[in-house]
Amino acid sequence: MMELVPHIINGLTLGLLFALIALGFTLIVGVMEVINLAHGSLFALGAYFALATLGGGWFGSTEFGVWWLSLPIGMRYVFALVVGPLLAAGAGMIIELCLRPTYGKAPLYGLLLTFGAALVVEELIRLIWGTGEQSLTVPQAINGAFLMGGLIFSKYKFFAAGFALLAIGGVWFFLERTPYGAIIKAGSHDSEMVRALGYDLSKLRLLVFGFGASLAGLAGIILTPIWGLRPHVGLDVVIPAFLIIVIGGVGSFWGAVLAAVLVGLSVGITGAYAPAWSMMSMYLLLIAIVGVRSRGLLGRKSALEN
Amino acid sequence: MSKSKLTRRALLGSAAAAGGLAAFAGPWKHNRVWAAGTDKPIKIGITSDASGQYANSGASDRRGMLMAISEANAKGGVLGRKIETTHIDTETTPATGSRVAERLISREDCGFLVGAVSSGVANAISQVAQRNGVIYLNTNSSSPTESGKNCHRVKFVWDGNGTNFAKAAVRNSIDAYGGKVLLLTNDYVWGHDTAKATRTLIDQYGGEVLDEILIPQGTRDFSAALLKIQQTNPDVVAAAVGGDDQIALRQQVAQLGMGSKPAWINNQQDWPDVYGLPLDNLFGVFGTTWYYGLDLPGVKEFVERYQTMYPDTSMRVPGNVFYNGYMATRELLAAIERAGSTNNIAIIKQLEGHVMAAADRMQHDDAVIDPITHQVQQTIYLATANDEPRNEQDMFKILTQSSPQDVRDEASLGSCKLESYDDTPSFDA
Repeated sequence: MMELVPHIINGLTLGLLFALIALGFTLIVGVMEVINLAHGSLFALGAYFALATLGGGWFGSTEFGVWWLSLPIGMRYVFALVVGPLLAAGAGMIIELCLRPTYGKAPLYGLLLTFGAALVVEELIRLIWGTGEQSLTVPQAINGAFLMGGLIFSKYKFFAAGFALLAIGGVWFFLERTPYGAIIKAGSHDSEMVRALGYDLSKLRLLVFGFGASLAGLAGIILTPIWGLRPHVGLDVVIPAFLIIVIGGVGSFWGAVLAAVLVGLSVGITGAYAPAWSMMSMYLLLIAIVGVRSRGLLGRKSALEN
Repeated sequence: MSKSKLTRRALLGSAAAAGGLAAFAGPWKHNRVWAAGTDKPIKIGITSDASGQYANSGASDRRGMLMAISEANAKGGVLGRKIETTHIDTETTPATGSRVAERLISREDCGFLVGAVSSGVANAISQVAQRNGVIYLNTNSSSPTESGKNCHRVKFVWDGNGTNFAKAAVRNSIDAYGGKVLLLTNDYVWGHDTAKATRTLIDQYGGEVLDEILIPQGTRDFSAALLKIQQTNPDVVAAAVGGDDQIALRQQVAQLGMGSKPAWINNQQDWPDVYGLPLDNLFGVFGTTWYYGLDLPGVKEFVERYQTMYPDTSMRVPGNVFYNGYMATRELLAAIERAGSTNNIAIIKQLEGHVMAAADRMQHDDAVIDPITHQVQQTIYLATANDEPRNEQDMFKILTQSSPQDVRDEASLGSCKLESYDDTPSFDA
């Protein structure tokens, strides 16, 4: 039994990282009813923007570039954590502007457009940063390992899980405790009423998409020091994110968090005892939950169920 | 009595009918014939991955082939004919590999197929190639089954395989670090075949396999496996994990500082998988067929040609994947030239048993294309991270080199059953 404990801890940390990945995805699906297949590319883009910020790639070998690189890595890392998501948000907003003609049409149009956007972003990354593997350096204080119960754990992974917890709390606070969050939630519930109350729905959608994209970018910065950074790294993200929001219930914030933790636990524990099934366990969990409860763990009841 | 008169119309009609009959009743094995006009370009289908787990290696493989073709075209082509290429992405997926091979052969009229990193994809392509008699060069996939039970008359395997690399590494590691070994295996054909070969060698050298952890393709989080390794406490971890999976594994092992204890054997290390990574990611020992830092004649010029042809490539020096792509293609073109024909059977005969001088291949030993398995028997190098690099590209330190005889995959000699020449469709490309 004691042997299982480290795997449960590992599964929980992994689950929090999955939750971080799914946050932006669930926000966009919940509010805009758009399945954003470019989520993975925005994840990668955030990480590449952070890479350019951290390594001073923006500034080249100018005097400012040299000064920038002389700053402590911790300071540059914090700056990258802000700049990366902001720029990813900008890219997300451009995608939202392109999406506008698809509103009110069959969902397939939005799906195809975001799929196309994903390909474009990935290709742009290849053109700008090349096809090879990159490494996002993190400050020494959060790098390395520590011993717990005679086993070595990664400091960075615990930092990332803690950061994911903070991000989840922050997004919850924003949605539940601020007037902007109230408008976003109202927009997801009844967008026409929000418009009738005088709010600019176009601006709301733009901001929600930007916010979702910034969360994708943030997840990219946090996860790529573990997963590695390459132009197609976003592909590794879209499927777990999609699974998580379906298991959790489309549009449900806490449903997504709960589902992510369950997915993390199932992958973590099967990874130790039946490793060949570790990836498959996500899909089995999906089948088990959706088979019993078609709207997911905390999804809203559909009109047909009333 | 009327005398029959053979008119020109009747003669032409008879000739056409006879021709049609001959074509209809002709030998079915000669089912595809392309006009071998001397001005017609020779078409090579490139079957490398541009997406999926081996996208990066696929790009490097492709660059190698294109440099060999460009050099041949600059000299006037082969048999006076230019060489053209068509590339379709095989997506690191066997089903796509089959579709791509079918399309390149039937719709693009390619007379040769070149390229693979994933053994599953290579196997799928080679089945289509054999059915059509199209020569296929498996440039970079290294499952022992590729030149064992999945060998084909039309297929030639250019990389060292899992057994070759394991032979170079296992004994040294058991002697140096101890015999308790844990296998970390990518859950697909290359991983399984390599692990099987490693197991055999561990038994042979008196070691013991404590456990085997299977890693599904696409795994990005290795923490569960790494915890399990710590709980099992082996002397050596023998890893057969490739592509992007391996990159993620390396980063996570380095973060935990587990690169030196336990000792790691990373069966083979493809250059594109580690290029640009920090040096602490490059732990353990691993096999390779070539390194740009080998102190051999021709290496420096080869690197310069690469840099001239690919000035904007982020990978500033060629690695083993590029090398295999280049060598395979160059030798195919040389075989066509030696055959004096583009007939596939004639070219196959030129390739079988062909000896390639060490100096030409920039390796320490002469290499030979084994006529029984169609795998290139070549020098295998055992390397580790270079703790005294001359520059940021100088990532490997070559520890030992093994001659082809010392690392020969004996098992494949018995398991490979090549189709006969008669059972292989013949055509001129």
